Amino acid sequence: MSTRDNWRNLGFLAGWVVLLLFVPPTFSIYIRSFFMFLMMYVILSLSWNIISGYTGYISFGHVVFYGIGTYATAILVVDYGWHWIMAVAASGLVGAIFAILIGYPVLRLKGPYFAIAMLGAAEGTRVIAINWVSLTHGADGIAYPNIENSFETYIAMLVLMVIAVIVAYWVGHSRFGIRLNAIREDEIAAESLGVNTTFYKMAALVLSAIFPAMAGGIQGYKTLYIEPESEFFILITIYMKLFAMFGGKGTVIGPVLGAFILYSVQEYTWIRFPTAHLITFGIFIILVARFMPRGLIGFAVDRGWARKGMVH
Amino acid sequence: MAETNEIALQVKDLKKHFGGIKAVDGCSFDLPKGKISGLIGPNGSGKTTIFNLMTGVLGADSGEVVYRGENIVNLRPYQVFNKGISRTFQITRIYREMTVFENMLSASSMRVPESEAREQAEKLMEFVTLTPLRGEYGGNLSYGQQKLLEFARALMTDPEIILLDEPAAGVNRTLLQNLLAHIHHLQEEEGKTILIIEHDMNVIMNHCEKIFVMDYGVKIAEGLPDEIQNNEYVIEAYFGHK
Repeated sequence: MSTRDNWRNLGFLAGWVVLLLFVPPTFSIYIRSFFMFLMMYVILSLSWNIISGYTGYISFGHVVFYGIGTYATAILVVDYGWHWIMAVAASGLVGAIFAILIGYPVLRLKGPYFAIAMLGAAEGTRVIAINWVSLTHGADGIAYPNIENSFETYIAMLVLMVIAVIVAYWVGHSRFGIRLNAIREDEIAAESLGVNTTFYKMAALVLSAIFPAMAGGIQGYKTLYIEPESEFFILITIYMKLFAMFGGKGTVIGPVLGAFILYSVQEYTWIRFPTAHLITFGIFIILVARFMPRGLIGFAVDRGWARKGMVH
Repeated sequence: MAETNEIALQVKDLKKHFGGIKAVDGCSFDLPKGKISGLIGPNGSGKTTIFNLMTGVLGADSGEVVYRGENIVNLRPYQVFNKGISRTFQITRIYREMTVFENMLSASSMRVPESEAREQAEKLMEFVTLTPLRGEYGGNLSYGQQKLLEFARALMTDPEIILLDEPAAGVNRTLLQNLLAHIHHLQEEEGKTILIIEHDMNVIMNHCEKIFVMDYGVKIAEGLPDEIQNNEYVIEAYFGHK
């Protein structure tokens, strides 16, 4: 990627940021909330893409980092009186530490075993959140003081999304990312060609845990109430995976496009067909999987509309 | 390159059993430095297992692989690679959904600046005539081109020892001559130590200075091509008893 390409892409990102900055003063609370969720799913999809798209370790339990982040932020703010921004930053650290702790055993597994282990980690953590009442307040959940915070949380999510996009861009255009791809393609060959696969897989998992944890912290603070069933909801993992795969996993722009388009379609079908929106959404996904199995970016590459590879 | 009798690497009494199968059962040999050597033997004689043990892909039950005075057996593959021993595989293991250029760059050392790694990748792609295909997915290359790519990728860190597992298999004559010319260039101009596993006896007899023969997990003979061709144990291993 040339310096010129980097500046062009940075300009493109800056343009989007400016447009998104106009949302809070211009549109209704509903639209603001829609864009906030949309940015959150961009962050989650980009993060899932680092461990699953680039490295090939398909995670079925990535919501665990999101849930841990919502709880870490809520506990630090409500029970320990931290400023919410400090608590969100600390949630990123908590997510990273948690990734190291579960990464050590689960990254020894491959394919469906890793996927199921991650699903188990998420479900197990949800059960712990329900039962460790002294820390998490159990099934009652944690309520924040009732304040109006939609503007500052919107800006925080926007800033976090910009950082996540920049980090994803760096991963996607660096030798670090190429080495993650090499692990995805053939782990034995990668290791035989100088890649310390244990280190790189752990680095990918940690990187893919930090942003969901922080996004969860912001989202929890925005909704002012969290409880285990919502924060460890498996549908959040399914969404981040779907959005990344729809756009094109293993690419930078894929998860961003996927989240923008698919989350909008999901919202539209929910408004238009409230009783059948999941069916409509499901049909859409089946059609995409049938005709664009490698996502939008793969579709474009196959037709020569986009260049092959990440690094040129 | 000057003639030397130096040893690049020693394999000492190496053993690897898979249950009741003795894949490698006390194999020893000294790999001469700066020369092209061959490792031959019937199917299942333990040649690829020896490569896997030398490069850390498999752990050994016992024995040593001594390189620069250090026993490197049971190190992890990336550690062996970083010490200067590179390899290719019997069935190519190129990254199919990565471009030729990305395949090359993936094997560069992170200690080398990216600009230098890119330059090295371009130079090696030129060396194996893959530059026109630099933006193509590895999986879209012909088998022979994949062999060339794997060979070039193994050279990214300028290794001292190169282990080639059946480089001629599935490669057409023209590409094979091209590959052999590259191998000779590396040995003659850059003093690399090369060990080739190969079933094509023309390649082994015409291009290797020293040959090791394995059967049932042990070395049964070693010597110059003429000596190996007339060795009764080798003839027996390949053709059976008279």
